[in-house]
Amino acid sequence: MTRPLRYLARWEALLLLFLIGAFVYGSSVSRYFFTASNLSIATASFMPIAIVALAMTLIITTGEIDISVGSIIGLCAAVMGVCLEHDLPIAAAMPLGILVGGLAGLGNGLIVAYVGLPSLVVTIGTLALYRGIAQIILKERGVSNFPEWYQNIGFGTVGGTAIPWSTVVFAALLLGFAVFLHRTRWGRVLYAIGNNREVARFSGIDVGRALLGVFTASGVMCGIAAIVLTAYLASARSDTASGLELQVITAVVLGGVDIFGGSGTLGGVVIALFVLAFVQNSLGLAGVTPEEQQIATGAVLVGTLLLFGAGRLLRARAAALGRLWRPRPSALATRTPYPRISEED
Amino acid sequence: MTLSEPGTAGRPSRQRPRAVRGLVGRILQVREIGLVLILLLLCAIVTARAPRFLEGPNLQQVALSATLVCIVALGEALVIIARQIDLSVGAIVALSAFLAAAWLEHHHDGSLFVVFLIGCGVGTLLGAGNALLVAAARIPAIVATLGTLAIYRGLAIVLAEGRQISATVLPVSYQEVAQARVAGGPLLVWIAMLLTVCFGWIARSTRFGRNLYALGSSPESARFAGISDVRNIAGVFILSGFLCGLVGVLWGARFGTVDAVIARDLHFQVISAVVVGGVSIFGGSGSVYGAALGAVIFAVLQNGMLLLGINQFWLEAALGVAILGAVTFYVFLARRAERESRRQAMLARGASLAADR
Repeated sequence: MTRPLRYLARWEALLLLFLIGAFVYGSSVSRYFFTASNLSIATASFMPIAIVALAMTLIITTGEIDISVGSIIGLCAAVMGVCLEHDLPIAAAMPLGILVGGLAGLGNGLIVAYVGLPSLVVTIGTLALYRGIAQIILKERGVSNFPEWYQNIGFGTVGGTAIPWSTVVFAALLLGFAVFLHRTRWGRVLYAIGNNREVARFSGIDVGRALLGVFTASGVMCGIAAIVLTAYLASARSDTASGLELQVITAVVLGGVDIFGGSGTLGGVVIALFVLAFVQNSLGLAGVTPEEQQIATGAVLVGTLLLFGAGRLLRARAAALGRLWRPRPSALATRTPYPRISEED
Repeated sequence: MTLSEPGTAGRPSRQRPRAVRGLVGRILQVREIGLVLILLLLCAIVTARAPRFLEGPNLQQVALSATLVCIVALGEALVIIARQIDLSVGAIVALSAFLAAAWLEHHHDGSLFVVFLIGCGVGTLLGAGNALLVAAARIPAIVATLGTLAIYRGLAIVLAEGRQISATVLPVSYQEVAQARVAGGPLLVWIAMLLTVCFGWIARSTRFGRNLYALGSSPESARFAGISDVRNIAGVFILSGFLCGLVGVLWGARFGTVDAVIARDLHFQVISAVVVGGVSIFGGSGSVYGAALGAVIFAVLQNGMLLLGINQFWLEAALGVAILGAVTFYVFLARRAERESRRQAMLARGASLAADR
């Protein structure tokens, strides 16, 4: 295949088509879709998910998963809410929220990296634990006396433009994550771990420290997302962001990150995030209920995984077929696992 | 070096240094005994603070709330033994409960048999959906069931349109299923016990059950041994779905009211019951009896918190701590056992070398 063709056949290119499709669909659903204010709202409402998805990309690249992200956001929101109730200035509560998120992520990372438990069960456990702590400290109260400037983080826009402040936060974080993952040694380390952990360990990579790092980063991102989300909702409750992990994981998987680890790009994830944001917005404009949107999100997740699964299967078949067409002696020998010793010998 | 006679070489390894533990030590080695002790301890603590715990009606409530979690935990235990996980159990329970109750609402004199058929059928179908994704398409169970969790729960909410089917529109015969008593105990408890024994037998003594253990402890070796991972993994997800469907019907009978958001945190309760019950999260070890005991422990814990006036908000955190604690504890146990057996093997080899000289 020639170079430009191969470039067009990339998953990211297909995602861009999806994005255009989402715009076409949105415009056909409602004439309010393609207005600056609506696009701004659609983007702002998705930013908490987008911020968490950055760190989730790193985690899934290493072959792990973190399904406790929604609960960590809930915990951070609860902590900030309690601070506000005790008349602490919000400027002090914000770093505290990020700190709590980082500690929660550190907890996940310590258990995964140094106790050696699978991240799926660890984060199921902490999914319940962190949400439980959030419920204990905030009960069923809601805190909503956030100052005006704080709420602007959620849906205020920069100057006279339609760009939400949260998007600026996201863009800055995206830049950092993209450079880290795609331009530094440490980013390559994550791919190496995701491709083959044993080999990575034998190449002298400190796998435990890398895992600790990505899980802590995930916690910190959840803290930042909690700020953006509470500002957007103008309230903090203990059930804030419950079920958010579904959308985050869907975005990352739709972005082309291999669920088994070892491949994927942040560029794909960013396009997938915008596809999901605009599809969700246009579904909302079309009068589709949040529950039906939840079905759609689940279906996108499962459908994407099916697609990649089928692709993997086809590639394996094609590889096997290729071996059949050009049977080399060595290839033939490996295809018969038990070489028969003939009786005549 | 002379060749040792067959039989003498392995002999020292059979005389384990710590073999003389007596009957008590032997019994304590059975994991379920430890769980029973924990359960008794828990009961004693709760009784000491709130004597009401031991009264008949309360114990019956505990048993009833344990049964539903227990039945789902049987399926989940097999799923986890096969090194998979099913997060969609609560959603399957809700959807099958709602569909069964909705049918009954329109066919007031319909037979209960059909209700169970609908509930179990829906559950089996949804379980087959999971099976298709995990076994046939080879999607990791955690993300596949996270996706189906959203789809099934969303379907339940959309179909229910926000309404609930309450006891007043359901025939009395349906609710009598939960109140019926057989041989001095509630029917539901008997059903759960019967199913536990039945699944214990499936896990221990059938080819399917042993295949699940084999697939769980080493998928590669199991495949080389000719065990079909597709068929067995599919089977276990379908079985789990079937049990969830059954629980859906029983759920409606027990609580009288069915809406789309029932059993919201069921997967936490079930997974903690299973891991506290000693099923290894790495697959390949544990028993369904342990999982059933885990469900009873949680029912006692929940009831105890209620009696002692502890806020129910603590329950979710307690579930998280239980999952993390149990998994960590069993991993340490397993590692110690592994170290011990490696030490034994080295001792044995040393002894046999010494005997050879």
